[in-house]
Amino acid sequence: MRPLVAFFFALLLASVQAGLLRYVGGGAFSVSLVLPCVVYLGLSAGNVEGALGSFTIGYLLDLLAGTPKGLMTFLAVAAFLFCRAVSGAVEVRSRTAFAVLSGVCTLLVGLGALFLTRLVSTPDAAPPGHLAWRLLVEAVLTALVAPLIRAAMRKIDGFFTREEAGLLR
Amino acid sequence: MFGLLRRYRELLLIAVLLLLPLVVYFAHARRQAELSRFDRTLLWIASPVQKGMHWAVSGVERGWYGYVALRHAHQKADALQRRLDLYELDRQQLLLDRAENVRLRALLGMAEASPERRYLGARVIGVRLDPKGLQLVTIDRGANDGVARMMPVVVAKGVVGRVHAVGPTSADVLLLSDRNSSIAARVERSRARANVRGTGEPWTCRLDYALRAEDMVEGDLLVTSGTDGVYPRGLPVGKVTRLRRTGYGLYQYAEVVPAVELTKLEEVLVITSPIDRAQESAEPAPAPTPGPSAAAPLMTPAAPPQGPAALAGPAAEGFAPGARRADGPPLPAPSPASAPGMEIAR
Repeated sequence: MRPLVAFFFALLLASVQAGLLRYVGGGAFSVSLVLPCVVYLGLSAGNVEGALGSFTIGYLLDLLAGTPKGLMTFLAVAAFLFCRAVSGAVEVRSRTAFAVLSGVCTLLVGLGALFLTRLVSTPDAAPPGHLAWRLLVEAVLTALVAPLIRAAMRKIDGFFTREEAGLLR
Repeated sequence: MFGLLRRYRELLLIAVLLLLPLVVYFAHARRQAELSRFDRTLLWIASPVQKGMHWAVSGVERGWYGYVALRHAHQKADALQRRLDLYELDRQQLLLDRAENVRLRALLGMAEASPERRYLGARVIGVRLDPKGLQLVTIDRGANDGVARMMPVVVAKGVVGRVHAVGPTSADVLLLSDRNSSIAARVERSRARANVRGTGEPWTCRLDYALRAEDMVEGDLLVTSGTDGVYPRGLPVGKVTRLRRTGYGLYQYAEVVPAVELTKLEEVLVITSPIDRAQESAEPAPAPTPGPSAAAPLMTPAAPPQGPAALAGPAAEGFAPGARRADGPPLPAPSPASAPGMEIAR
């Protein structure tokens, strides 16, 4: 259930992102509202449902971003695994930590997409290296909005998670 | 084998989810794949969301710019309105200045066209077109400026009247439309003689003493003949309208529309140089082409102005910056008797 909900929420976020960026900046900069969903799954979901959710979100990104099929799907699952690894090593519970992790994931996904695209592109069509600074801006902006998405994801999670009576948290 | 799979099924599933897209990517990266039905369905689902987003954002935008951002618009509009009012006042003043400039240029052009005369510019400061009394306007020049009784007053379009009463700093001008005013005139085209007499109405005069045999048609321009000793020859007086010629009697009758709009006078010229009656009344040859300027070359130049007036030149005094007042010799004020057509009934 959770991967499906994450998928539709990501679909909503992707549409909001496309609509917002039309008015804010007009494409001068970009922000990824969807990747914090992957980060959230990496921190709070189980292995299988998180991986499935990330896969579907990546598929959605491929579809909406127009990238070759499989690129963002692979990177979304990889980001999920990265978050999983980070959450195993350090405590990522606060909003700030979530924001930082979202920013880092966004940057890594961007750099990974750049790298993989350069691998399969002809030298003429390869994305230039100076796009990296735009990836940095995107990462910072994503980190800024990530706490909001985290709050929304937690709210949605609340609809599908039953409180266990008597359990101290 | 199955036990191993069951044991590592999560890991395997994750590995598949990770590596499958990578394989797909490398397999299809170089050629653009067609969208599947599932892809199209997803895009179809996303489209209304984007439209809704657009609707919401544009609504907020409209609300912001249409209401919230207009918070100080009223004060701005007031300030702009005040500035606009000031500019409008300035514009009106410029338009008035421009119109005045045009009128003054016309007067100046008229003065320069007849260098033998001396002119004194004056502004109309009072109007008394009383149907019960005299048709007078007051000008801001008087005896101190050299204005004397019976001096002709003109504008570029033609005759206005003559000076009737003179004070030290102002003078009354009897308009040609006054009932007591009578100006010796000629038809410019045929040189037929007549008198133009006022009727008491500022927009019409009547034709007196025009012999029935004289060549005269409606629309003929009447100019001063110079025989009355007041007006120099050749100044436009008006146009003949409503000509009536009966089958008997000595005269024909007509109305005359003054060449000058007497109700719109603002600046006038007083001709301060004396009128040489003998010279002015000399009969010239009929002008080949009608027009007010045609009479000007027929005028015999008077004696050149002496003293400071000569320095002032032919230009109208009183209007141009730095222009000098005509301080010529004292002008002999023609008596009403010397002007047969002029008489005043008090």
